[in-house]
Amino acid sequence: MTSQALTTPPSVAPPRPWKFPLSTTTTTRAGTPVHVFDRPGQYVATVRVTIALPLFAEPRELEGIATIMSRTLDEGTELRSANEFAAALERHGAAYGVDVSSDALHVEISVPISHLAPAVKLLAEAVTRPAFNAEDVGRHVTIRLGEINQERANAGYRAREAFAANLFDPSVRRSRPTAGTPDTIRPLTNTKVAEFYRANVGPARAQILFAGDATGVEVAAIVDDAFGDWTSSAGPALEVPEPQYVLGDRVVLVNRPGSVQSQLLIGCPGPDRREEIWGAAAVANHVVGGTITSRVDTVLREEKGYTYGTRSSFNAPRKGGTFTLGGAVRTEVTGAAITEALRILREARDGLTDREVQEAQDSLIRTAPLRYEQADSIAQQVGSNIAVGVPLDFADTYLAQIAATTAEIATDAYNRYVGTNGLLVIVVGEAKDVRPQLTALNLGALTEL
Amino acid sequence: MPLNYPLAEQTLDNGLRVVVSSDKAVPIVAVNLWYDVGSRHEPPGLTGFAHLFEHLMFQGSRNVESGQHFSLLETAGASLNATTFFDRTNYFESLPSGGLDLALWLEADRMGYLLDAVTQENLDNQRDVVKEEKRQSYDNRPYGDSYERLVRLLFPADHPYAHMTIGSMADLDAAALEDVHAFFRKHYGPNNAVLTIVGDVSEEDAFDAAKRYFGHIPAIPAPPPAPDGTIGPLTEVLRDDVVEDVPSDLITMMFRLPVDGTPELDAAALALDVLAAGQSGRLNRRLVRDEQIAQSVSGGALPLIGGVSFGTLTGIASADVDLQKVEDALVEEIEKLAEHGVTEDELATVQAQNERDWLEQLATCSGRADEISHHALLFGDPNRINTRIDEIRAVTAEQVQQAAAKWIRAGGRAQVTYRRSNAGEQE
Repeated sequence: MTSQALTTPPSVAPPRPWKFPLSTTTTTRAGTPVHVFDRPGQYVATVRVTIALPLFAEPRELEGIATIMSRTLDEGTELRSANEFAAALERHGAAYGVDVSSDALHVEISVPISHLAPAVKLLAEAVTRPAFNAEDVGRHVTIRLGEINQERANAGYRAREAFAANLFDPSVRRSRPTAGTPDTIRPLTNTKVAEFYRANVGPARAQILFAGDATGVEVAAIVDDAFGDWTSSAGPALEVPEPQYVLGDRVVLVNRPGSVQSQLLIGCPGPDRREEIWGAAAVANHVVGGTITSRVDTVLREEKGYTYGTRSSFNAPRKGGTFTLGGAVRTEVTGAAITEALRILREARDGLTDREVQEAQDSLIRTAPLRYEQADSIAQQVGSNIAVGVPLDFADTYLAQIAATTAEIATDAYNRYVGTNGLLVIVVGEAKDVRPQLTALNLGALTEL
Repeated sequence: MPLNYPLAEQTLDNGLRVVVSSDKAVPIVAVNLWYDVGSRHEPPGLTGFAHLFEHLMFQGSRNVESGQHFSLLETAGASLNATTFFDRTNYFESLPSGGLDLALWLEADRMGYLLDAVTQENLDNQRDVVKEEKRQSYDNRPYGDSYERLVRLLFPADHPYAHMTIGSMADLDAAALEDVHAFFRKHYGPNNAVLTIVGDVSEEDAFDAAKRYFGHIPAIPAPPPAPDGTIGPLTEVLRDDVVEDVPSDLITMMFRLPVDGTPELDAAALALDVLAAGQSGRLNRRLVRDEQIAQSVSGGALPLIGGVSFGTLTGIASADVDLQKVEDALVEEIEKLAEHGVTEDELATVQAQNERDWLEQLATCSGRADEISHHALLFGDPNRINTRIDEIRAVTAEQVQQAAAKWIRAGGRAQVTYRRSNAGEQE
C-alpha cells in the first residue's frame, strides 16, 4: 500500500437514502395510542408519555402550576412515598424525567430493556396515580423559588426571558416564564395542583412512545398492562390561540452588574410547521447563523474574535414561531458586535447564494441519520411532533422541504420574517459600560430593565 | 448484560494505533482520535496549550484552508467537535459512511502538517476566542471558578492536575508563535495517538483507509511522559471561603481518589454515587427531601490516569438555611458511609445506574468510538468497552467501604463555599 499526502480532498460518495424509522401503533384499553419504534441494538429504551397540555390553560395567577404538577408526579404516589418511588425506579437502572413545553407535558423513563416491564409500571404509577401530598408540593414550591434565583443570575436565561417578554403581547402565555414567577408560584397548594391535574391529565390526551430494541419483547402488552386501566375526567385539550407579537426595531438593556460579557439575543417572529417554508427557513438559517461556518460567526468569531460563538435558529411550538440569534460578546465590543450582526442579518435579505444554499441542504439532509441514531432521540423528536400537532414522521416532510429549496426559495422564506417588521435586540450586561455603546447606534427605542 | 461489540486492532509502521469496530446496522461512520496530551502534560508557563490546540486544529493545515475543515465535513453531513481534558485531547466526527475518506484525510493533514497554518494571525485570533470562551464558561457565571479554586487546594502547586484545562490567560498572552509550534512538534504525531473507526465500513476497508491517509506521516520523537502525579489521600481540611453576589449559598467538597483503571477507583466512584447519584441517593433523601436544608445536591467521581483521580460533593442551601448546616450534614453522611459502608440494595442500585449510563454511552457510533479510543489510549485495552459493566458489577460492598474509608473522609477534603454578601436581604 502506498501512502502519500493528497493535496486535495478525496471525494465523498453519496449517502444511502434515509427515512425516519417506522412505527407500529396500537391502543391501550383506555384508548391511548401506543407507538413502538423497534431499534435493534438500542439496549436502553425510552418510554415517553406525551400529554396535550397547552400552557394557557394555567390560571394567570397560578402560572407555573403545570411545572409544579409535573415535578410532583413522582414525589409520592397512591402506593409509595417519594423516597420509596425513587428507590424502586432507580433499582431497575431507570432514569426518570419530565418536561413541560408550551403545548404538552412529557413524562419519560429510559431503562435497560431487561427491566422494561417493572419500570413501565412505575412510570404509569407516577402518571396515573400521583398523590400530591401537601409536603411534597410545598417542597417543590420552595425549590422552584430557589431555582428562580439561579435563573436570574444566568445571563442566557435573562436574555431569553426579556426576549419573550418583549416579543409577545402580554396577553400571550409565552410572554412569561413557563415555570412561573415568585408571585404565581407562592400561592400553589397541593389541592390546587391536584385539581389542575384532574382537569388536564388523562388517557384521552396522551400518547405513549417506545423506542428501543424490541426483539422478543411484547412492548404493546407491557404498556397496556400498565396504562390500560387509566381513567380520568379530563376533557380534550383546548386549541391554542394564535400568538400576538409586538413588532418594530427596539433595544432592551438588562442590567447585570459584574458582567464581563454582554449576552445578546436578537430576533423577530418566525414561521411554524404549518407553513411550507419551514424547511426553507431552516436552510436560510443554516447559512446566516446556524453553524460555526455561517455568515455571522465567520465575522464575529473567526474574523473579529468578539465571541466564543453565536448561533441562530427558527423555533416554533404549535403556533407562532421565532427567529433568534444569540451569543455572548466582550463588554467593550458590544456595540460593534451588534452593528455587525444586524448588518449581516439585513444583508442576507439581498439574497443567499446557490452555493451557500446547496451546502446547507447537504448538511441538513445528510446529518439526519446521525440525529436519530439513538432510541432516545427518536422518542424526543416524535414526542415533540405530537406536541406541535404534526405527523410522527414529520422529519421526512421537513427533509423533503429542504431538498426542494432553491436559493430563491430560501431567501424568500428568510425575507418573509427576518428584518421585515423590525428586530428586537436584547442585551444583558453591565449597563454602565454598555449603555453609551448602545445609544450611539440609533437602533430604535432603548428600554432599560 | 454481556456486550460483544467487535473490535480489530492494528498498529501502523509509524506507531499509529488503529482500532476498528464494524457496525453495518447504521449508514454512518464515526472517526475518533485521542491524542495523549492534556493539561497534565503542560509545563509551568504553558498552561492552556492543549486546549489552545483544540482551537488551532480547526484553522487549517497544509492542504486545508482556514474554515475548510468545518465546511467540508458539514457539507458531507458530519457532526464534529473536539474536547480537552486533564489527561488527553480528542478530535472526532460522525458522518454518512461515504465521507470516511474525507474525514481521515482532514484528520491526517492536521496531524502531519498543522504548523504550515499556525501563523501569528491565527494564533492571535484564536487566543481572543479562547478568552471569550473563558469569560463565557467561567467568569460570567456564578460559581464559575469553583473547580479552579478546588484543584488548587487539592493538589500541590506543581502537580499536573493543579490547573484547569482552560489554563492561564497570562500564559496564553505570553506565548510566542515558536512556543506554540514547539508544543505541537513534541506531542502531536501518529505514535502519540489512537485512531478509532466505528460504523458502516468493513475492517479491511477501514484499515486500508487508515494506512492510505496516515501511513506517510512520520513518527515524532517519543514524547516526554507527563509528570508523575501519584499522591495519597489528603490528610487535612483545606478551605476557600468566597463571599460574592451568588444566587444561593453553595458548598463543594473535593476529595482525592484512587487512579483510574483500578477496582479501587470503581469502588470509590460507587461510594460517591450512593451518596449523591439520582433521586434515591442518601444526600438527596436527607438534605433535599427529609430535612429540606438543600435545594439540590450532586456529585461523583472524575476518573483520571495520572496517579490520582478526584471526586466532588456539592450542596446548594435552601433559602434562609445556614450553609453550615449543609456542610455538617455532608460531613456526617461522609463519615457514616466510611464507618458503616453501604447496603447491598444501595450498591445494586448504583451499579444498575452505571450500567444504563454505559449502555447509553455505547448506543451511538460516536459514543462507542470515543470509549474505544479512551480505553485503547489510556489503558491499552479497547475491549474494556465490552467488560466494563462486569467490572463495575464485580465491586463488592466491602470494597466500597474500604475505598470510602481511605479516600472519602471528612478530615481529608478540599472545600469551597460561596456565600451571599447580603444574605438575609434576599426576597
